[in-house]
Amino acid sequence: MTKLRSLLAAGVAAVFSFAAIPGIASAEVTVLGWPGGSEETALRAAVESYNALPGTAAEDKVELLFFNRDGFYDKLQADLAAGSDAFDINLIATYSIGRYAPFMEPVDLGADAEKVFGKPILETMQFEGKQYGVPTDLSLHFMYYRKDLIDALMADQGAKAKYAEISQKYLGKSLEPKAPDEWTWDDWAATALYFTKSVNPDSPVRYGTVLQMKNLLFNMMVFQSLPRSFGADWTDESGKVTVDSSAYRAGLELYKKLYDAGATPKDSLSYEYPETNAAWTSGQVATALQWNAAASELMDPEKAPAVAKDTAVVAPPAGPEGRKDHIHGLGLGLNKSSKHKEGAVRFLKWLATEDAALTYAKAGGSPALAPSVVEKIAADRPDLVKLGQFAGSYGYVMRGATSAKALSVYEAQAKEFTAYWAGQKSLDDALSAVGQSMADLLK
Amino acid sequence: MRTTSQQREGRLLLTPLVAFLIIFLSFPALVDIVYALSNVTFQTMRAPEMVGSRNFGAVLTDPEFWSACWFSLRFGVLTAVIECALGLGLAIFLSPIVSRHGWTTAILMLPMMVAPSMVGLMYRLVLHEFAGPLPYYLTLWFGTSPAFLDASHAFWTLVVVEMLQWTPFAFLLFHVAYISIPSEIREAAAMDKARAWQILWRIELPMMKTTIAIALGIRFIDGFRVFDNVFALTGAGAGGSTMSLSIYIYQSFFKGGQIGQAVAASALLFFASLIVLYGGAMLKYYLERRRTTA
Repeated sequence: MTKLRSLLAAGVAAVFSFAAIPGIASAEVTVLGWPGGSEETALRAAVESYNALPGTAAEDKVELLFFNRDGFYDKLQADLAAGSDAFDINLIATYSIGRYAPFMEPVDLGADAEKVFGKPILETMQFEGKQYGVPTDLSLHFMYYRKDLIDALMADQGAKAKYAEISQKYLGKSLEPKAPDEWTWDDWAATALYFTKSVNPDSPVRYGTVLQMKNLLFNMMVFQSLPRSFGADWTDESGKVTVDSSAYRAGLELYKKLYDAGATPKDSLSYEYPETNAAWTSGQVATALQWNAAASELMDPEKAPAVAKDTAVVAPPAGPEGRKDHIHGLGLGLNKSSKHKEGAVRFLKWLATEDAALTYAKAGGSPALAPSVVEKIAADRPDLVKLGQFAGSYGYVMRGATSAKALSVYEAQAKEFTAYWAGQKSLDDALSAVGQSMADLLK
Repeated sequence: MRTTSQQREGRLLLTPLVAFLIIFLSFPALVDIVYALSNVTFQTMRAPEMVGSRNFGAVLTDPEFWSACWFSLRFGVLTAVIECALGLGLAIFLSPIVSRHGWTTAILMLPMMVAPSMVGLMYRLVLHEFAGPLPYYLTLWFGTSPAFLDASHAFWTLVVVEMLQWTPFAFLLFHVAYISIPSEIREAAAMDKARAWQILWRIELPMMKTTIAIALGIRFIDGFRVFDNVFALTGAGAGGSTMSLSIYIYQSFFKGGQIGQAVAASALLFFASLIVLYGGAMLKYYLERRRTTA
């Protein structure tokens, strides 16, 4: 019995020791960042600079924590809802702020933050008028195109005649090739059809475009700019869902037309970001609407030797309402359950300064910066200049897209829209179903 | 009645196990029951509002739930039957080689060592039109390659992927059962001039039927609850065409934030499993009773 008591005492002591270890380890500010890719590299560089500052107290030193990307937001949701204090600062995204806001605290970044990022970019991290985070990276979409193919098309009279014939047959109007920066969606569609082997056997590549059509919410973000340029929005000002509109119909029908004509790979209904990159780097695709983050891979001669030198980007094509580009910000905000709020706020305020933003950008991050700030790194990061231009000129956020159920709206759209593209549902049925789901989610 | 020190010690030693069961099984089960009967979201997880059986009604009237059930049932039955048929054939056909060269078993087991989610990611690459070897060679030899993952082919592609990974499991079970049949029985049958197929049909298969039933059961359960490789390969599929019951529950919980509904669906699945297991046990009892009375 004495032995048993000793064993129990040792067990209890061990339990207390393990319980105390996280307390000791969490003497610093812990940041839960977006793992992998340029965001992690940039955040590591920024944290290293912050920790090396002479004014950073030992208890304010920042340490980093990374999960896996798969299911990241679900794990974050579960941790926040459980009141976890394993991290003081966590990642947030424009379309999930409403979902996480109840478990986070707004932060005051100071007046200078607006000079660094500009008001529209700070707004990507706001919910109900309150600032919930520092915008660290901005995502939008580029229209990638093959310069060599388009130049050859523009210079060839015979090709122009074929182009006009194809556009008349598939789009009902005779079009002439244009420079990508002047494209309407019809011009892009005609170009995609012209460069499709099954439509035009003389095409030098197999497909005119590569569409991301997998039943996945991120693919809906890519698609959204097409109907938006025709005037689409999720709701009207009274909050009534307006997805069953001529604008959404135009966008959905154009995607289906290209898919049915074979202008995009047959497996496009299972394609997302990496599949699109793989298709592009194969050199068998002429255009692709893809995330800006892919530029570093698709335009790098080492990663895409077959196409990098001929790859160029413009903003997405124009519709009747002009050009539109879906913006989606990543940022860092304050966990309500944090045990080191003061230190965490000090780090967030530093992260919103010009020095920190430039450090982050130089290390490979993609912050959208005010023109006066971005010009300081334009030589190192010319893509950030384009990012800022596109975001400022064409960036938009759908009405209701920062609500708590925004991600669920994208999910509902992904399910119904892919059902239409796959031929499982009529357009009327798909729009009716998604309208019903959105009305339930956004009420 | 006084408890002896031995009894007290026994109870004390049992305490950690009881505490473990209460903390890790009873508490989550209790929370599940509360959530299944509540209107609860991530924001109200600590203050769920009781709504009775409304979540069960919502699940049972949701066409997506039945569509997911149908997918899981079809997938579970088909993969179990195909894997067991192939596994049985391989176990019998390869038995002389595997018995003589034991190391071949390790090679045959390799697919089982890979995590299902990794298998899903691997086939995303293998089947990709521009990066995958299979479409490359099909295009090279036949001029075209099918769209393996489009809405009309995805189900069968997933069945084949599951089959390629888990047939070795069925093979292993059948191989062990096959080699454990005493050789004297086969020799006696041969002396009676029984043909090979007669030995197989009348002696070997009846002696392996328990193993066959277990293998079918295990493979059906694994196929029915499939998640990882399907999720990595096609997600829920175009229009939800490859949404298994596990994916339905996951999406309702995390993506839809409908925690009550998701937990109610998992509770229904649990009750359905209990009924199937009870039915199976009853059937076994009935068959054994009939055999002993015959």
